[in-house]
Parts: sequence; C-alpha cells; structure tokens
Amino acid sequence: MNSIPPKIQNQINMLQQIQQQLQNILHQKNQYEIAAKETRRATEEIEPVNEDTVIFMSVGTIMVQKKRDDVIKDLSDKAETLDLRIKSLEKQEKALQSRFEQLQGQIKLALEGKPPAE
Amino acid sequence: MLRCTSVSDSSVMDPKEYQALQHYLNEYGQQIEFLGQQFQILEQGRFEAQASIETISGLSPAAETSVLLQIGSGVSVRAKILDPDKILIAIGADVVIEKTGADAIDYLNERITEMEASAKNVAGSIEKIRIQMNEISKRLEEVDANNPSGT
Repeated sequence: MNSIPPKIQNQINMLQQIQQQLQNILHQKNQYEIAAKETRRATEEIEPVNEDTVIFMSVGTIMVQKKRDDVIKDLSDKAETLDLRIKSLEKQEKALQSRFEQLQGQIKLALEGKPPAE
Repeated sequence: MLRCTSVSDSSVMDPKEYQALQHYLNEYGQQIEFLGQQFQILEQGRFEAQASIETISGLSPAAETSVLLQIGSGVSVRAKILDPDKILIAIGADVVIEKTGADAIDYLNERITEMEASAKNVAGSIEKIRIQMNEISKRLEEVDANNPSGT
C-alpha cells in the first residue's frame, strides 16, 4: 500500500482539527440555543401573571425576590445576549464549514493525482 | 478478502461495503445509547413531577403538624410549613415563581404531558434505529456465515 505524501497527511490533520472545532462550536451553539429557549419559556410563564406575584431570581448563590417587570427585563436581556452569541457561533460555523469543504476538495483532488484548481 | 459483490447473491459483499455496514452499526449503537439516556432523563423527570404533585396534594394536612426536613445523610429536622398553598416552582432560567397549590399542580401536569410526548418520540426513534440495526446485523451475519474464515 502506498503511503500518503506528507503534504496530504498535513491537510488531513488540518481537516480533522477543523472537524473537531466544528463539533465544539455545534455543541456550544446547542447549549446556548437550549438556554435561549428556556429563557423565552420562563418569560412566557411570567408575562401573564399579576404584578404582585412573588418571583425569585438567582443572583450568585442565592435567590432574590424581584418585581415581575424587572424579571421580564432581565430575561429579555439574557435572551438577547444568548441570541448574539448564537449568531456569532453560526458565523464561525459557516466559515469553518466552508474551509472544511475546500480542504476536503483539495485532499480529494490530491489523492486522485489532480492539481488543485485554484 | 471477501468475494466481489454480486447483486443477486446476498452472501457476498464488497469489503468496503462490509466495513461501511459495520461502521453504521456502531454509529446506530451510539445513537441508541444516547437516545436511551434521553429517555431515562425524561422518565425520571416525569416520576419526579408526579412525586411533587403527590407532595403538594398532601401539604394541607401537614400544615397543622410539623414535617421532617431532610438535610442529607439521613438527617432531618422538624419544620413547619408556613403556608401550604404557596408553592415555589423553578420555571427555568434561574427563575422561581410562586403559585397556588392548584396552579402548581396544573403546571406540573402540563410538564408531564410534554415529557410523555417527548419520551414517545424518543422511543419511536429508538425503535426505528433498532429495526435498521437488525437489518444490518442480519446482512453481516449472512456474509459471515458464507465466509467462515473471515478472509
């Protein structure tokens, strides 16, 4: 069996690294999406209740009683921050995906013995 | 080396195809394991919610007497429930809301219904994957049976 040329081996290693990075980003994105969904759901739960309903929110290691409107504002800010992080991760994911496909194409061509079409 | 593929003969298979099927089998196995864990989490959540409903329902008479508040390692202290109709429920995102006993039970029942629906979906997915795994296993066994030396 012929051994893989060092250049291609290097590209394969890079491809594996990109794949690992992509998996990390997807995992992180998934966590943020779950948190964003949970935040929206909590907001939906609080919105219809009376203003004098007792609501506690976690502050560090303790729960502090807060007004309904303040909680809604906090949750809305939290959801906004999470959405921004998700969007940023989506951008990174797109860029890595494109790099992955490009590199994959180059490796494929190299293994077939064709020069890369650049 | 396995003999070359012949479409009409199910006992022979391209080695690459054989490897691919083994790979799928492993992948499916991992997926089933993951989905099985999800199913367990949902079931646990459902049982916990049911236990909470039972507790809320039993709080009213307990208000007249003291209850045991567990503080870990099998140790408890006597405690008094100040208001058995004020239930504090964590609704996610680090928020806890106070509800009446009846509202809290409604909330938990809704969650149970959702978890049941999710568990049903997960069980359905597990079943579909299991069917595919059985088909692949059967196919691989057929090939193995006709190539006992494994060469």
